[in-house]
Amino acid sequence: MKYFLYWGCSLEGTGANFLVSLNPVCEALGIEFEEIEDWNCCGASISYAGANDLAVKVLNARNLALAEAKANYDIVAPCSSCYIQMIKINHEIQEDPELLSQVNECLKEGNLAYKGGIKVRHIQDVLYNDIGIDAIKAKVVKPLKGLKVAGYVGCQSVRPFGEYDSVNKPVVQDRLIEALGAEAVPFPNKIKCCGSGIFLPEIDYCLELAKNILEDAVNHGGELISTVCPMCAMNLEMYQGRVNEKYGTDFDIPIVYLTQLMAVAFGMDLKKDAALHYNVIPPEGILKKAVG
Amino acid sequence: MENKINYGPSFSEEVFQNVDFGEEIKMCMNCGVCAGSCPLREHMDYPPRQIFSLIRAGKREEVLSSKSIMLCTSCYTCEVRCPRSIPVIDVMHGLAHYALKKGYVPRKDTADFGREFWNQVYKIGRIDEKDLPRKVFFAGGVVNGIKATLNFMDIGLKLFLHHRMKLLPEKKIKGIASLRKMLDKAEKIGKGGTVT
Amino acid sequence: MDQKTAIYICTGCGIGDAVDVEQLKENGTEDFSIDLIKDHSFLCGQEGLEVITKDIEEVGINTIIIAACSQRVNYDVFNFGGDKVVERVNLREQVAWSQVPGEEDTQMLAEDNLKIGCAKAKDTSVPEPFKAEEEYSKDILVVGGGLAGMTAALETAKAGYQAIIVEKEDRLGGFLGKMKKLVTMPYKELSDTGAADLIKSVEDNPKIKVFTSATVEKTTGAPGLYSVDIKANGNSLTERVGAIVQATGWVPYDANKLGHLGYGEFKDVITNVEMEEMAAAGKITRPSDGSPVKNALFIQCAGSRDPEHLPYCSSSCCLVSMKQATYLKEQDPETVNYILYKDIRTVGQSEDFYRKAQNDGNIFVRGTTTNVGESGGKLFVEADDELLGENVKIEELDLVVLAVGMVPASQPLEAPRIKAPADAEGADEEGMIEVAPDSGFFANSALNLEYRQGPELPTLKYGFPDSHFICFPYETRRTGIYTAGGIRRPMETAKAIDDAVGAAMKAVQCTEATAIGMAVHPRAGDMTYPEFNMKRCTQCKRCTEECPFGAINEDEKANPLPNPTRCRRCGICMGACPERIISFKNYSVGMIGNMIKAVNVPEEDEEKPRVICLVCENDAYPAIDMAGIKRMKWSPYVRFIPMRCLGSMNLVWIADALSRGIDGILLMGCRHGDDYQCHFVKGSELANTRLSKVSETLDRLALESDRVKFVEVGISDYEKIPEIIGEFMETIEEVGPNPYKGW
Repeated sequence: MKYFLYWGCSLEGTGANFLVSLNPVCEALGIEFEEIEDWNCCGASISYAGANDLAVKVLNARNLALAEAKANYDIVAPCSSCYIQMIKINHEIQEDPELLSQVNECLKEGNLAYKGGIKVRHIQDVLYNDIGIDAIKAKVVKPLKGLKVAGYVGCQSVRPFGEYDSVNKPVVQDRLIEALGAEAVPFPNKIKCCGSGIFLPEIDYCLELAKNILEDAVNHGGELISTVCPMCAMNLEMYQGRVNEKYGTDFDIPIVYLTQLMAVAFGMDLKKDAALHYNVIPPEGILKKAVG
Repeated sequence: MENKINYGPSFSEEVFQNVDFGEEIKMCMNCGVCAGSCPLREHMDYPPRQIFSLIRAGKREEVLSSKSIMLCTSCYTCEVRCPRSIPVIDVMHGLAHYALKKGYVPRKDTADFGREFWNQVYKIGRIDEKDLPRKVFFAGGVVNGIKATLNFMDIGLKLFLHHRMKLLPEKKIKGIASLRKMLDKAEKIGKGGTVT
Repeated sequence: MDQKTAIYICTGCGIGDAVDVEQLKENGTEDFSIDLIKDHSFLCGQEGLEVITKDIEEVGINTIIIAACSQRVNYDVFNFGGDKVVERVNLREQVAWSQVPGEEDTQMLAEDNLKIGCAKAKDTSVPEPFKAEEEYSKDILVVGGGLAGMTAALETAKAGYQAIIVEKEDRLGGFLGKMKKLVTMPYKELSDTGAADLIKSVEDNPKIKVFTSATVEKTTGAPGLYSVDIKANGNSLTERVGAIVQATGWVPYDANKLGHLGYGEFKDVITNVEMEEMAAAGKITRPSDGSPVKNALFIQCAGSRDPEHLPYCSSSCCLVSMKQATYLKEQDPETVNYILYKDIRTVGQSEDFYRKAQNDGNIFVRGTTTNVGESGGKLFVEADDELLGENVKIEELDLVVLAVGMVPASQPLEAPRIKAPADAEGADEEGMIEVAPDSGFFANSALNLEYRQGPELPTLKYGFPDSHFICFPYETRRTGIYTAGGIRRPMETAKAIDDAVGAAMKAVQCTEATAIGMAVHPRAGDMTYPEFNMKRCTQCKRCTEECPFGAINEDEKANPLPNPTRCRRCGICMGACPERIISFKNYSVGMIGNMIKAVNVPEEDEEKPRVICLVCENDAYPAIDMAGIKRMKWSPYVRFIPMRCLGSMNLVWIADALSRGIDGILLMGCRHGDDYQCHFVKGSELANTRLSKVSETLDRLALESDRVKFVEVGISDYEKIPEIIGEFMETIEEVGPNPYKGW
């Protein structure tokens, strides 16, 4: 199965453990990725400060046009912010012919055009619907027995469209976690916002958001928190120390990408494939115990 | 400088004409679900529905200088619950863009972050993750820059030691020239016209 | 009728396990001559029924007592023809399911129930339906030719019946005819009123007779037998009809009372009705100088939801203002409309029109108006803006529209005054007293009924005719007369159409049922009617005054003159009569008296108290059944006797019961008062009032007044039944056994 992989600006940096674990896991499941040549940034959730709405749409339409020109594979955007930008703008362009012509007017300046024929998917969507739980289960050689995972869904991987999962009570990540043999603990705050892109500039306000999520995960018995968004991973992992400082808590819970868990369960190399040593709060101990 | 309530349509019209998705606020019926859903509602000066009421009441200063429009994390919780299907996120972003364009600077740090972000996108077509924070820190001057850098150095160091920081600077994308042309055109024909 | 009585006891549904059937057969029929007693394990099944039908055929059984499940179920199964007497004895819900099986007290209860049933059957005759001497009419009179009236007439005609419309204006159409446009389903945009087409279809319909410039001068008679004198265009004529639909509509609230909102002071402050008329006539302009309207403001809830004016909401004014704002925008898209509201009430799908009004750019402000004034030739409105917490002044207004509410046409401007009866309080110097709203003398003239209780329909709240709105929406307190449309409650056109269809259906049903002697709601299908033994009447007129439906007139000799087709067969008159001259073929004072006497009262030393519980069949009896279905348990010392309405309770039963040694009498009836539930409107209240006279008697007999208690029970109160009974039994235990036992 072939897809375009839209890297986004964080997958080689703060999201490196996501990218490193994504590739071998997908290969094992028969997914072939192709990069969109010369892709540009998607603008994430903060570009409105500098650009008007049409410019942001055009920014993303360029990627869509580049992809469409090459092949009609679906685009998979692992980062939730990139996913929401592209799928939202894609929907808007596809549903409004006037907007489409306006966008194309701008794309013409760069000798590009977008017909509206590409689909944008989330990695969870592809794993759950295209690959399927059974196929994933088949690849598990080291089931993560007894491991309690709090599956953090965040905001932008399901809202606002609920394309492949419920916006109020999402279950797809939990099913994927269970397919690996682990236990997905109940986690009501899994859809609460982590503060996203404005965490850093508004850190005073956003530490509370992080605290609520960490607290809820730990209170429900979560040993580690899984995530599918580099932004969420960053906010929950890197600022745990500051949360503890401000609120007198003692959180020390690893934040692991879903694909990292999958790599471990598939019996792959903990360093080369699962990139566990990239995690700042080390998950090796807990994971090694789970696989025995 | 505060405005008295004036329900005359002048400010509303300004918003409808110039703010992206501005005309959507007509549909707000002030149910307050957005206010109840927002993760940062306690820190906003006016929750979304009140921003819409203020627009309709002609309270230009209060709206364009409010904290709220810059505090949106784009979590979409309000938008999925709005019974009038108002794209609240887009309206808040549109208002923020307009406010900045008009010279208001609510929440300077976030405004700086947003502006530096776009500048970088415009310059090289991608974001350089290690470079962006530096630019944002120093946007407030050298002293602020050094203070902030020292403040967050531990995080930077941890990321670096755990292979999560790209060492080499990000290169310009090949099609940067044509991207800029496209973006310039969009700025021109988009709502609100060219940046004043 | 020569009674040949058979008792059939069903032992299914747990009855056979709860009681000793053989003993029941013996003790339960003591003192009664029963021709046949059988039992069967599944009486309602085919085999069980065949046993009964065989006995009817071969032995000539004509009085059948079914001792099994509640009378509320299987009445279609245990139906052996209108010429048989069928009596139901409740051994299931009220014995087997609610008592401890096999106990002595349970057995005694079952035996008493059977004896009560036998006593009832003995005094029951096959009903002979009432048939008037005159010929019945099945035509329907519709008073009022507006939307509701015309729709009712059309529906009547469609059903195959003749309709007669009496309209007081010179043309049909009512308010619908005065509107410019309509907002109705699917509430996406304005639509044509359809008035012209509707009027034409009415006028062209061969089954509808139309009288315009006409009023009803006099209505005599009763359902099926109405004689209506109509004055139309100066001519007088009489029509005979079977039922009446009153669709006389509404008038706008008097805006002269809204001076605080500028009405009367400024020419450019008008009501929504005046706005509509102006729009329908052509262009909307400033009334003061005819100049164009650039800015308009609508004040919602003008004199509505206000204790000083109309306390209620008229449900359609929000939509109307949005409609009129749309007129202005259609006239000139640059118009700025402000809608100043308390709440926006666009119910159901009409919310879509609210969305449209918002999308069109109309400005909605939530607040309370504090001042309407003038400045520089234009108007301004000041209000307390609720959402922003500030005072707002909206200026440069060309037009201010007050959205006033709807008042029923029945509501008099001032309460009428009549000569006060001798014992009335509150009479003024001239001996006049204000008429109460629930009197037939209160409402504005429309029907002019020749009823002793007054010419118009009694009203309940705000001038709207009283109807038991939970159960019977179109009914009024006059049988055969149904209300529809704005006269019944404020409503918009879509609901008025629905209303009219319902009322027409009820009217037609009434004429058909009356023609064969059948009662209408709530005792639909009842073939009995009250019979008066005038020889012993003392002309006290209690029956005449207490009948909630005005069924009884007065003849020249001052005797009560019953009109059986006006009657709802509740028996309130029966309960009121001190001489006990009123009875039904299957329900009479004597019969209930005998049922009470059939109860076995144990001696004082046996320590088994006995309580008679008179139970209203409408809500309380079903509640008891439901408690039984839920297998709730209560004291075995209570004997339930169903009543058509607690209002039919005659005080002699209480005296009889107490003198026989019954320890207590519990009455369970529907809720009375402002939010009444009583299915016959006044029955429960009357029973309660009569009881106050009982406590005097009790004190004289040196009996505790605690022994008689009235409890309001609603159908959803079934969970409280054990508690209610338990509490009463505790009281009885406290006051001790009735000293008259064994006398």
